[in-house]
This record gives sequence, C-alpha cells and structure tokens, in this order.
Amino acid sequence: MTPGSSKWLSGKGKAIAPYVFILPPLAYLAVFMFWPLARQMWLSLTDTRLTNPNGGSFVGLENYQWLFDDPEFYTTLNVTVLYAAVTVVLGVALGTISALAINRPFPGRPLARAIMLFGWAVPNVAASLIWLWMYNERSGVFNDMLASLGLDRVSWLTSTHMAFSSIVAVTVWQVAPFVMLVVLAALQSVPDEVREAARVDGADALSVFRAVTLPHILPSLQLVSLLVAVWSIRRFDIIYLLTGGGPIGSTSTLVVKIRQTAFESHELGVASAYGAIGLILALLVAFVHFVTDRRRQKWMAQ
Amino acid sequence: MPELTFKNLSKSFGSHVVIDAFNATIEDGEFLVLLGPSGCGKSTLLRMIAGLSEITSGELLFDGDRANDWHPRQRGVAFVFQSYALYPHMTVRANIAFPLVMDAFKKWYHLPIVNAVARRRLMKSPDIAARTENIARQLELDSLLDRRPASLSGGQRQRVALARALVRNPSLYLLDEPLSNLDAKLRTQMRSEISALHHKVGKTFVYVTHDQVEAMTMATRIIVMNKGEVQQIDTPEGIYNNPANTFVARFVGAPPMNLVPVTRKGRRLATSNAQAWNHDGELPDGERLIFGVRPEKLQFLAWGQGRMPAQVAVVERLGAETVIGCRLVSDEHGGTTNLVENDLVFVRISGNPRTKINEQCSLDYHAEDVVWFDAHTQTRIPVRAAAPALV
Repeated sequence: MTPGSSKWLSGKGKAIAPYVFILPPLAYLAVFMFWPLARQMWLSLTDTRLTNPNGGSFVGLENYQWLFDDPEFYTTLNVTVLYAAVTVVLGVALGTISALAINRPFPGRPLARAIMLFGWAVPNVAASLIWLWMYNERSGVFNDMLASLGLDRVSWLTSTHMAFSSIVAVTVWQVAPFVMLVVLAALQSVPDEVREAARVDGADALSVFRAVTLPHILPSLQLVSLLVAVWSIRRFDIIYLLTGGGPIGSTSTLVVKIRQTAFESHELGVASAYGAIGLILALLVAFVHFVTDRRRQKWMAQ
Repeated sequence: MPELTFKNLSKSFGSHVVIDAFNATIEDGEFLVLLGPSGCGKSTLLRMIAGLSEITSGELLFDGDRANDWHPRQRGVAFVFQSYALYPHMTVRANIAFPLVMDAFKKWYHLPIVNAVARRRLMKSPDIAARTENIARQLELDSLLDRRPASLSGGQRQRVALARALVRNPSLYLLDEPLSNLDAKLRTQMRSEISALHHKVGKTFVYVTHDQVEAMTMATRIIVMNKGEVQQIDTPEGIYNNPANTFVARFVGAPPMNLVPVTRKGRRLATSNAQAWNHDGELPDGERLIFGVRPEKLQFLAWGQGRMPAQVAVVERLGAETVIGCRLVSDEHGGTTNLVENDLVFVRISGNPRTKINEQCSLDYHAEDVVWFDAHTQTRIPVRAAAPALV
C-alpha cells in the first residue's frame, strides 16, 4: 500500500465507502423493483381499469373482499399451491436420482450429462412449443404411440383431468436438470474419507447414503426446493402457451389469472390484488426456508 | 486376532506403480509403524488392508485366508483417518455408537420410517448405550456426548475418532497419520495415550506416519518405505543402530546420521576435500565407502585434540542438549576448503557449552560406533567387530 492510497481511504472516506458501493444496485432495485411493487400494491387498493390506467380511485380492501368471495380465487390458489408442491417433489426427486446416477464416472458420462441438461438449456417458449406438438391430439407423438398400441387417444391438454398432469410433466422435465446440476455439485463435495469411515464401520451402500451423503446434500436440496417452489409460483410461459389456464380453470395459476384479469377483464385493481397474494405466497415459502436453515445451523453448532 | 501376511502385494494406478511386490508379516499384538516420506505408498498399503483400495496383484492374508476381496466390514478392522472423518451432523454419542448400530442393522430397517425408528431404538438399547458411554468415559468424552463435531477442538475430535474405532472392539486397528493435525504439545500427549491404549487392549495396531519420532517412540516394529519399496523391517533400535541403507540412516533420527563419503587407502580415510585420518577399528573391503556416525556418538573437542578438524557453522541450543553443526575442514590447505557436498556434520552434546559460530574445533569417534555403507549401492556393509549390537 502506498501512503497515498491509505490516505484516500482514511476517516470519512472509509465510513462512506460501503454506501457508495451499495448505492448503484440499490438505485437500480428502487427504480425497477420497489417502485413498481409499491405501485402495484397501491393499484390493488383502487378500482383502476385497463381502459383508463390513471383514473382509478381508492376503494380500500374492496378488491380483496371481492377475491375472497369469489370461488374461482380458491380454485386458482389451490392449483398454484398444488402445482408448486408437485413440481418441487417430483422435480427434486428426479433431479436427485439423476445426479446420483451420474455422480460416479463411467464411459460416456460427459455425453450423458449434456443430454440430461437439454431440458434446462432449451428456452421455455421453444420447449413449450415442442411439447405442444407432442401433446397434439390428432398428430402428436404420444397419441401416435397410444394408437399404435391399440389404445384410445387422450386429450392431453384439453381435458380437465389430464391438463394439470401434462403441465406438471413439462415443468418437471424442465426443472429436474437444474436440480441435478445443483445436487451434483453438492455430491462432489461429500468428503470421501467420511464415506469410507462409514464403510469401515460396517454400513452398506444405503446406510452410507443415509448417514453421510444425504445429510451432506440436504442444505442444497432445501435451497433448490425453495428455488423450484418460487419459480413454480411465478411460472407463466409454459402454462400460458400449453393451456392458457384452461380447461375450466384447471391449470389456472395465480400468474395466469393475473394476465386474464388484467388484459381480458381489464380489471387492473383486482389483478394487482392477485399479484399481492402471489407475492405473499412466495415470501411464505422463503420464510419457511429461512427458518429451517437457521434452525439447522444452530443445531449443527451444538 | 489376525496375523497379516503380504505376499508380493502390488498396487498401481494405471501405469503408475505405487507399491511394488510388498512382502511382510504383521504378527498378532504388534504395534507396527509404516514409516516413510509422503507419497511412498504407506497410506495406500493401509487402505488395502482396510479394504478401501483394491489390490492390483499379490495376496493379502488374514490368518492364512486370502482377504483380497473381502468387504471392509468383513475384515473387522477399525480405521482412524488423518482428517478424523467424523459424521458432522451426528452427536458425539451417535458418532461413537455408529459402528455398533450398523452391526445390529437388519436389511429391512432400510424401509422409510422403520429406519428412523430402528436407529433410535438401537441407539437406546442398553447394550449399545452402555458400551458407548463406557468408551466415552475411558477417553474423557462423557461431558461432550451431546455435542456435535463442529463445536469440538482438534484434540477432542481426535479422541472421538479413537473412541469410534475402539467401541467395536476390533482385532486390528489401522491409523493413518492420526496425529498430524494436532499441535506439538497435544501430539506428544496423544502419542503416549495411543501407546498406553495399545498396551491395554493388546490388539494389533498398524500405524502410518512420516514422523520418525512417532515411529521410534510407539512402534514395536517399523517398516521403513520409500517409493513403494520396503527399505528395512526391524525394531526401532535395529533401525536406529543398524540402518540397512543410507535412506534409512538419513530418514531416522533428528538430526540424522552423519554420512561422509570417504576413500579408503589401507587404514587411512580421505574425504573429497583432502582431509584424511587414520581409522583404528575394523574396516570393510572396498575403496569407496560412506562413513556413518550418529550425532551423539561424535566427540566435540578443542582444535587439534581430535582426528577430524572442523569449524562450527550452526549452534542449536535445546536446553538440556545442544546440537552443533560443523564443517569438516582440511588442515592441509590452511583450514579454508569445505567439504564438496557442503554437508554439515552434526554433533549432539549434553548441556549448554559456550560455543561460537566459526570457532575452530575438532571431532573424534570410537571405531565401534561407525556404520559403513557402500558408496555405490548405498547399502550397509556389516563389519564383524565394529558393531557389537548386531550379534
């Protein structure tokens, strides 16, 4: 360090420096996130309509009152929570299993990993269009296969009892590779010596996994579950492109509903209220993650 | 209680040979130390005994039975790792009890839910709980039983690792540099504790280290290895007094044995810097020799009183004793020419003499304290009368 540089960072400069560095991202977030968020919160308390975006007047909690009286709102909430839960469970399970399968070196591993990452690397819109074709009732791959097996054609995306599962399948296909990447990284940091110690102590492969590997990758599993859950709560493209929320609202999550309310019913106020509910849901998930994470750290340090 | 036999045991990774044709027998109840510099294959050997590394060729026999393909748990061994390898999310109690729980574990306990219940049940079973607490008391861990490894000090973790190895009462203990992560004081303490433990349990210990002090103080027998090859198998005294070659002579002892290349002409020995003196004892045949003598066997004398004129270069005062590093000088050239290798000859004397650097001095020795090596093969040449310890 030259005397000049230490002088530069002395006294007041040193005290101000951290704030100087924090300011640009803070300003960025304020303009592009906090301000729109605050405005949305405000909108949810007004009767603004899309036809006159600046003409709304304050109505208090009327929009929320209207939501809670509407049975469709509960369907939407149900679909959202169920969609998030199922994609987390299936996506994380599938991703973890593929990571375990690919963790040990074998001939052709790089190729296998590249293929398994495919679903994650393809842009969502492209992936949705590919699946749209495969699900097509007349000429899609799936129905073609069913027909060649002599089975009836299935309305993958247009029947109320199949649409949800079809959407979940695409989502899991898209999310599992990401889970695999994260879990793979965690698996590769499991210390070999601890695994070997368990083997010498008489543990078989399953016990080694349960006693050593699983606890080691658990924080990563939890983090990736949080990410997948939050992504599912705010996922729009796949659902909108495949079903648009239909049939009869069976795949209509909060985000799809926001678009419908805002741009088809022109109810900006109600749409904002939907948005607020979605935000609360995502924050709730993050909160659960935060609390369990803290508890585990405390528990480990005992 | 197995007797371990190695028959031409080899290990290679691809084309890289780590251990080449290792032959030895480890008897029951021995404290055998595998000593060598890092990368000499001693840890690999230990891992092959434990069943953690595959044997490339040759045979490993447990009491005469071929054990090459036995699963680690079949071998009934305990392993203490250099990093301790404790289970970080388990309490000290669960760590120590783990081998016992695994012994009592049945295949169907793997079912979900059953697993958690079974493990809790096993942990609380009177036998396992009693054995765990008993071992913990022996190693003074009883106050730490409900803590986790993250909150323990290095020495405490070391103890937990030992307890986990001891609890199953195996017949063979394998220790892979267990003290190298401890500070010097704790290391000395744990060294004597492990020795005491060996006396108490009376089982076979195989201990890997690169620290010759650990080897000398703990072992009943030492195998010195270098580059995957056995250099010498002997008791600590045998290794110290009669090293098989110059590698062993240099590796064991601190400071190591003084080795001076000399040329013999009749009874006269000449170093490469033209210093020469007459040797009074038995001499091996051959012209080019290496003259070896332990630092404590050399006499540190005033100038002109000993056969080897020298100059003090280093003085290390250790309190009870002093190690003096000298350069042999040639009086024929006015005492200025250094030894070609520029190696210092170390003398260890008791007390704390007033010796200054660059002081003129001389060294002398008794003929029976000298060990001779062949300058070409680097192996020791036995001399009948010169080394009574041999007989």
